[in-house]
Amino acid sequence: MSVVTEVSPDGQKLTISIKGRFDFGRHQEFRESYEKLNMKPESIVVDLKEATYLDSSALGMLLLLRDHAGGDESDIRVVNSSSDVKKILAISNFDKLFDIS
Amino acid sequence: MQSSPEPLTILIAEDSAADRLLLSTIVRRQGHQVLTAANGAEAVEVYSQQRPHLVLMDAMMPVMDGFEAAQKIKQLAGDQLVPIIFLTSLTESEGLARCLEAGGDDFLAKPYNQVILAAKIKAMDRLRRLQATVVEQRDQIARHHDYLLNEQRVAKAVFDKIAHSGCLSAPNIRYLQSPYALFNGDLLLAAFNPAGDMHILLGDFTGHGLPAAVGAMPLAEVFYGMTAKGYGLAQILREMNAKLKRILPVDMFCCATLLSMSFQRCTVEVWNGGMPDGYLHDSLSGVRTPLPARHLPLGVLTPQLFDDRTEVHPLSVGDRVFLLSDGVIETSDRDDQPFGVERLQQVFSANREPDRLFEDIQQALRDFRGEARDDFSMVEVRLVAPTQLNPPPPVYSDSGQSSPLDWSVSFEFRAQTLKRFNPMPYLLQLLLEVHGLRAQSGALYNVLSELYSNALEHGVLGLDSSLKRDATGFARYYQERNARLDELGDGHVRVHLHVTPQGDGGRLVIEVEDSGKGFDVAKVLARPLDRDRLSGRGVSLVRQLCHQASWSDDGRNARVEFFWEALS
Amino acid sequence: MSEIHLDLDVLSTLKEVMEDGYPELLDTFLKDSEARLRVLHEARDAEMLSATAHSFKGSSSNMGAIRLAELCGELEQRAKQPSLRGIESLVNEIDSEFAHVRTLCREEREGFHC
Repeated sequence: MSVVTEVSPDGQKLTISIKGRFDFGRHQEFRESYEKLNMKPESIVVDLKEATYLDSSALGMLLLLRDHAGGDESDIRVVNSSSDVKKILAISNFDKLFDIS
Repeated sequence: MQSSPEPLTILIAEDSAADRLLLSTIVRRQGHQVLTAANGAEAVEVYSQQRPHLVLMDAMMPVMDGFEAAQKIKQLAGDQLVPIIFLTSLTESEGLARCLEAGGDDFLAKPYNQVILAAKIKAMDRLRRLQATVVEQRDQIARHHDYLLNEQRVAKAVFDKIAHSGCLSAPNIRYLQSPYALFNGDLLLAAFNPAGDMHILLGDFTGHGLPAAVGAMPLAEVFYGMTAKGYGLAQILREMNAKLKRILPVDMFCCATLLSMSFQRCTVEVWNGGMPDGYLHDSLSGVRTPLPARHLPLGVLTPQLFDDRTEVHPLSVGDRVFLLSDGVIETSDRDDQPFGVERLQQVFSANREPDRLFEDIQQALRDFRGEARDDFSMVEVRLVAPTQLNPPPPVYSDSGQSSPLDWSVSFEFRAQTLKRFNPMPYLLQLLLEVHGLRAQSGALYNVLSELYSNALEHGVLGLDSSLKRDATGFARYYQERNARLDELGDGHVRVHLHVTPQGDGGRLVIEVEDSGKGFDVAKVLARPLDRDRLSGRGVSLVRQLCHQASWSDDGRNARVEFFWEALS
Repeated sequence: MSEIHLDLDVLSTLKEVMEDGYPELLDTFLKDSEARLRVLHEARDAEMLSATAHSFKGSSSNMGAIRLAELCGELEQRAKQPSLRGIESLVNEIDSEFAHVRTLCREEREGFHC
């Protein structure tokens, strides 16, 4: 499974970890990882430590996640980005929408 | 017990008459139709005429043996599977191997066993039907693929009409679009505005094919429509973003770089949302200044949060702005390594002839042995003297019977309006109702814009034009402009328009006044008409483009006149 | 070497399969076999000998003529040897075995009721 989810014990924080290529092939898995939850978590963390590659469809998926989590009211952090991934996120200025580290 | 399968037509090729008779009877009793042949040649003939479903073939036959006949029949069958069961009392494995090599699918030993024969026929028929299904599905897929290709062709044809209704063929533009798929997500648009400024958009939609095409068309309509009306980049950007946000699904967006190049003012205005760095090439020093993305792509933010702030850079004649899509950077070699920005910088440094930049980049990509995984587009725009360009005259759709010839109107734009609204397109539309003025729409737009921006920036905002001395000064000037505009509490700009008949033609008087501190008119007018100076250019421009230009009320009131003769 | 000249079980299966066609099958077998025997006697070429023996073996086994089939099989192998010495006696043996089989087939034919 290249998309792994973990919910904190109090159900308030959802962590989604991506392994390998974060591209169009992950679309279904990624959506299911947050859509299937019963509760809406307060905050979401997308962990890219083991993500090797990110393309524009991944950016689209992040937007879908943000929309689902409340749009401008959402709290989403993208963590453990490699320098390549950080560069892609920087060019697209996604640091204006997500907390990126 | 399963229901009996549909009866097959089975060819029995056997030279021994008794064996042939026996086998035919057995097979007929199992519910099938039987064809017979006494030798290999006859077997091939019967097969090609009747096309039975299955063949029982004796290995040793005169005239043509079973092996050769089997090969010929397999060839005739082509895509379809015609199972061939060899009848043999060959016991040596060599003989059996020959059967397989010849294309045999199974064996039946003599003496014939009915039960085994029935089982083998059933199994072979299952395979035959499986193959037939696969072939049919393959053909279906091929048909659908052709259908899809055709749809894309149509979409591309419609799109090309839209994309090329602009001025990409202008002499100061060079561009390259290399399609990877039939329709790529890259968009390149260029158009003149009424002032003779050039707007250029290089965009990159998420995805390829029809999904990308669907977003590109409304975007192009907005770009062309608003540019033709004289809207500025900020307003066009806001409209494009709002439109895409409204119509596209959440995960789709358009990275884009927009330019507005003014040949009168020798400036370029830039907005980059999510595209790779563009480059501003100073023709004298050879320095290339990057133009990085400072904004999110179009279609992501709501209109309330959208940032339409642009950067303005001064240019000299011969300077170029170079834009590229990420296909260039992402072109990869056999080890999946991307070309990258560093290699591009190397090409820049090595480039000796600016006119050959495209060739240098293409060669470098070829040498890198890239197999383009993405499409790439490049465009280069040069600042040239306005006389070198021929913007097409605007097309008007009315007949000319209702031209207003004797009227006046006054507007007062106050602080809150000055912050977010550019009245130029509306004023221009109004003036172009007067047919006699249409031939001078370029000059009209330029003068009106110049007077308005002077009134706003130097008058109301109190900005010192001498800041625009050099490139850094330029940047600071525009930063300061945005800051002061954000904080503006009061102030106004008034615009008065008077149209009166004169002789067989008419006269337009434009007055623009501002609530600012004014300036030393005599001093500025005394300066020579120096076209190369960055600052103070507005006044000289205005003086060049229209008849009587005068300033009063300590420079707070500017007045210009336009005339036209009778129309033929 | 089997002693079965005509396997009764095989015959009974053939009767069941062929029904009214049973006599025709027997006749066809006998006619074919006589032609093959002629070839075996006249053949000078080892390949022809081997192929004919092979074919005879097949049809004999289908009819249940076990011993005949085995003899043909032996001839088929012997004909592939470099030396054709002693072949003549094997052919004669096949001859006499077939004669026996033929008699039994004719009896079968007469005993068959429509």
